[in-house]
Amino acid sequence: MTNYTFSIPVNFWKNTGLVLEKNLKLIVGIILVIISITAFVYYWRNGLGIAYNDARSHLDIGRRVIEGLKPGLAQLGSVWLPLLHFLMIPTIWNNFMWHSGLSGALVSMISFVFCGLLIYQFLEQLGVGKVGRLTGVIIFAANLNILYLQSTAMTELLLLATMTAGSYELLIWHKTGNYLNLVKSAIWIMLSTLTRYDGWFLLFYATLLIIINVVKKKSYKTAEGTLILFLTMAALGVVLWFLWNLLIFKDPFYFITGPFSAKAQQDLLSNAGVLPTKGNFFLSMKVYLYALMYNTQTFPSILGLIGAIILWFDNKINRSIKMASTVLLAPLFFNIIALYIGHSVLYVQGISGNTWFNVRYGIMLLPSIAIFIGYLIDKLKPFRVVLISLILFTSFFSIVSGDAVTIDDAKFGSSQKNVTEISEWLKENVTNENSYILISVASHDAIVFSSGLPMKRFIHEGTGDYWNKAIINPDKYAKYIIMRTNDATDMTFRLVGKSPGFSRYQKISSFPFADIYELRPEYWNNLATNTK
Amino acid sequence: MVSLNLKNNWFNVLYYLICILILVLSLRGIPGNPKDLELNTSTWKENGPLELSTDRGRFALTYSLLENKSFNFSLNIAKFATPDLGYFNGKFVSLFDPGLSFLVIPGYIIGKLLGAAQVGTFAIISIFALLNVFLIRKLSEELGANKIMSAIAGLVFLFATPAFTYSVTLYQHQITTFIILLSTFLLIKYDNFWTLALVWMLLGLSFAIDYPNAVLVFPLVILAIKKIFSIDIQKNRILFRLKSLYILSLLTVLIPISFLLWFNKNSYNKYFQLAGTVTQVTGFDNNTPINNRYVIEDATKYVSPDRKSGFLGSFFYTRNLLEGFYILFLSPDRGIVNYTPVILLGLGGIIVAYKRKMELLPFLFSIIGLNILLYAMWGDPWGGWAFGSRYLIPTYAILSIFISIFLTKYRKYLILLPIFLILFSYSVFVNTAGAITTNAIPPQVEVLDLEKASNSIQKYTYQKNFDYLSMNKSKSFVYQLIGKNYMSSWRYFYVLYTLIMSLSVGLLVVQYADNFKKIFSKISINVFRKTLPLNINFLKRKYD
Repeated sequence: MTNYTFSIPVNFWKNTGLVLEKNLKLIVGIILVIISITAFVYYWRNGLGIAYNDARSHLDIGRRVIEGLKPGLAQLGSVWLPLLHFLMIPTIWNNFMWHSGLSGALVSMISFVFCGLLIYQFLEQLGVGKVGRLTGVIIFAANLNILYLQSTAMTELLLLATMTAGSYELLIWHKTGNYLNLVKSAIWIMLSTLTRYDGWFLLFYATLLIIINVVKKKSYKTAEGTLILFLTMAALGVVLWFLWNLLIFKDPFYFITGPFSAKAQQDLLSNAGVLPTKGNFFLSMKVYLYALMYNTQTFPSILGLIGAIILWFDNKINRSIKMASTVLLAPLFFNIIALYIGHSVLYVQGISGNTWFNVRYGIMLLPSIAIFIGYLIDKLKPFRVVLISLILFTSFFSIVSGDAVTIDDAKFGSSQKNVTEISEWLKENVTNENSYILISVASHDAIVFSSGLPMKRFIHEGTGDYWNKAIINPDKYAKYIIMRTNDATDMTFRLVGKSPGFSRYQKISSFPFADIYELRPEYWNNLATNTK
Repeated sequence: MVSLNLKNNWFNVLYYLICILILVLSLRGIPGNPKDLELNTSTWKENGPLELSTDRGRFALTYSLLENKSFNFSLNIAKFATPDLGYFNGKFVSLFDPGLSFLVIPGYIIGKLLGAAQVGTFAIISIFALLNVFLIRKLSEELGANKIMSAIAGLVFLFATPAFTYSVTLYQHQITTFIILLSTFLLIKYDNFWTLALVWMLLGLSFAIDYPNAVLVFPLVILAIKKIFSIDIQKNRILFRLKSLYILSLLTVLIPISFLLWFNKNSYNKYFQLAGTVTQVTGFDNNTPINNRYVIEDATKYVSPDRKSGFLGSFFYTRNLLEGFYILFLSPDRGIVNYTPVILLGLGGIIVAYKRKMELLPFLFSIIGLNILLYAMWGDPWGGWAFGSRYLIPTYAILSIFISIFLTKYRKYLILLPIFLILFSYSVFVNTAGAITTNAIPPQVEVLDLEKASNSIQKYTYQKNFDYLSMNKSKSFVYQLIGKNYMSSWRYFYVLYTLIMSLSVGLLVVQYADNFKKIFSKISINVFRKTLPLNINFLKRKYD
């Protein structure tokens, strides 16, 4: 029998390994960038990038800051925390960046790459080897839901990046006691508090961990000082948000009590009897765990759980590091509590309601799962190849079957809003005019976005005097009114529907989400503006 | 004490004879060589041995090949095969991979000569089941289990899991398991060209038996490739070695693949048309084939909505994983916990093997992992109307091996004995009932609709099998032929159950008698030591 042999010098192998290891983070970063751009292009080309109704609203909010009848920072509003919109400002002026969604997606894409690298570094801090670190990154970057969300103008990736960064620095502080890491953690957590309210819970949880750690290692007095140091920066975002609401809306709690707040939305659902998780802890847990499983494709969640258990029972790991690693579970606690107390709504088809809504919240634990799996792979060396193969096996099927629950949510669930028809009508009939359109962006931001018209063509709640005058005498300002007839939740209908001027309009078209009213031609000359 | 180490052949002969006896007593069937019209009666279908379309579909192909000398089904055979019937170019064809239907041909011919064609056909599966017991014992021993625990492992697989039911009916699972076990055994035991050639042929054959096997045997493909290509890390060099002759062994994979292509050409007139991808006929309206209640006029209107041919992702969907895990492990209608809890002791064996750094562990573990993941992703993790999680039969076989390792390692811990016995006797009880009654257990999700349609309560667990026995019915060939004249079906069940338990308890007694002997000897030594001021080191040496 002839045997063919060839050999490589061990030194060559070792040196190649060393070079790779030295530049591994850079290589991972480059690959993440390529994946990120590819995914964005894919979802942009098939139109899914702006399928989420919320994505279009986020883009519009950013745009209104720099363009519209009353541009300015006040347009950041109180509905959502402002960081994503703020970060869009440098790019949203460009129409392509606005309408392709890239302005917001760019933030998500950078967050994606950053978060992937953070997972790598987090595992490095836990003493995990190359294979474990890379597996952690793969778990994160090969998840279709993450790839989709990083291609949209949504807040999830920005939140994941800031939270993971905050947790990462907190872990290093637990490990080394270096206060610079605590300050860095505070900055990242502050940024997360300006992204989503999940960050507020992280702030609370991190504060608890810091107290426990310092009290245990030093004294109450030191804990007091450490806490002041931490909170000075970490709680700044929260304080600023209260201040913002006070200055702009004359009520520091406006984001909680205001008509467009999440609470107002949830109260409506609760009154309609469609908020089943409120007051039901078991259902809240079940719904969130289902969302988590669907977002992570189940198998990684199971492996992540095993990894977490092994981590927490590993005698070689310092107790304070184990304690710090529980910060990775903060999103789990937050989401279940938020559902239980009725501050959040999440529908998983077949579990609560017959539709999807906000199911993307289940993605919040993915970086944590990736870290726990990376740790597991490192610990179970004999199973390493098997586990990685099985992960790749399920990932392969998730990709070929296009299994992304977030896309279902965006396309078919309650998070979608297909306003194509009405937007097309506006494009065809209104684009070449200079007239104003009266519309409530709280209800119809998706129409504003999809119409492709400049923001300055719309009179909405955020346009100050334009809005105040137009709701009294619409026929003096707006040639068109877009609203849901007989729906009191539509602010335009509520305020304009009974005004005398409204009788001068005629309904010219009805669409699934709104009707279009046009001022009768005989009144066009009365329009206070010079538009006709 | 000849029996203590099971070296005597008579004990092995007795062991296999009892296994054969139990299989013969459980084998489902009725006497006769039915004509195609007869096959469409409830005697052969609902109330008979060919109760579900999965076994009917396979039997239909064997029947058609032998009786009609045709790859295409006559109208009567087509009706018999529904709702798992294929339709292609105006002809009725098999919807299943052909391997099994061909493998059972000798059984059909011999059975026909003896006046029981169907029984002969089913008996082939029982032979494979028995071979699996043999391989489980061999592999267990190879992996460090003692002979008694290896023999117990064989019994666990055959009688305490749903594998029992699928040893006496016409399903592909025992053959798939056989291919996996035999290939593993050959790969770890031998290193020569002919063995490797045989392994490649077996691996190719597995695809012709059941297409998803292509995934399931992948770890074995890697193991086989390792025989061809090796990496040797030396002091200064890393040596890559390729055994040229061994590469030629790969050619044997072409034998089963050629068979498959030949079958495809004859059935579908296309070499690369796979059976499961053709249009499905779910029934007939008089003589007109229908699919999902619509009359079929042409093939284009004819594709079942859940069969998007050629698109892998439509068959295996990660969103199904959560429900799939629940169905396979916990559900009352199919879950391992309810049907064969004893098999979970195999997890203990995996931990033991892990601690021992067993070289084969990753391969065996990956087969288990692939098996579970594949069928948890499958749109129908229930396996249609079935008894237990039939798709996991290869996993049961591997976990049985790990049970033997676990029991061997902890054989001195007496607490394990009652735990094992409780789980084992429960599992045997459930699975014996399954074997001699029916597989026609609907999934829980179908029950409400069934109850509406039938206006009666429908059971979806093994309770249905016990109800079947309570109606004094059994599908066992021997029972229907002879047994029913002498005893009730429950009594028949207890005869079988007692046989299985006697064999198993007998083996355990042999094992633990040895243990007890050692324990009592130690106690005696200690008693002597305390009561008699004698130097008894010589005794201690002897018994330690």
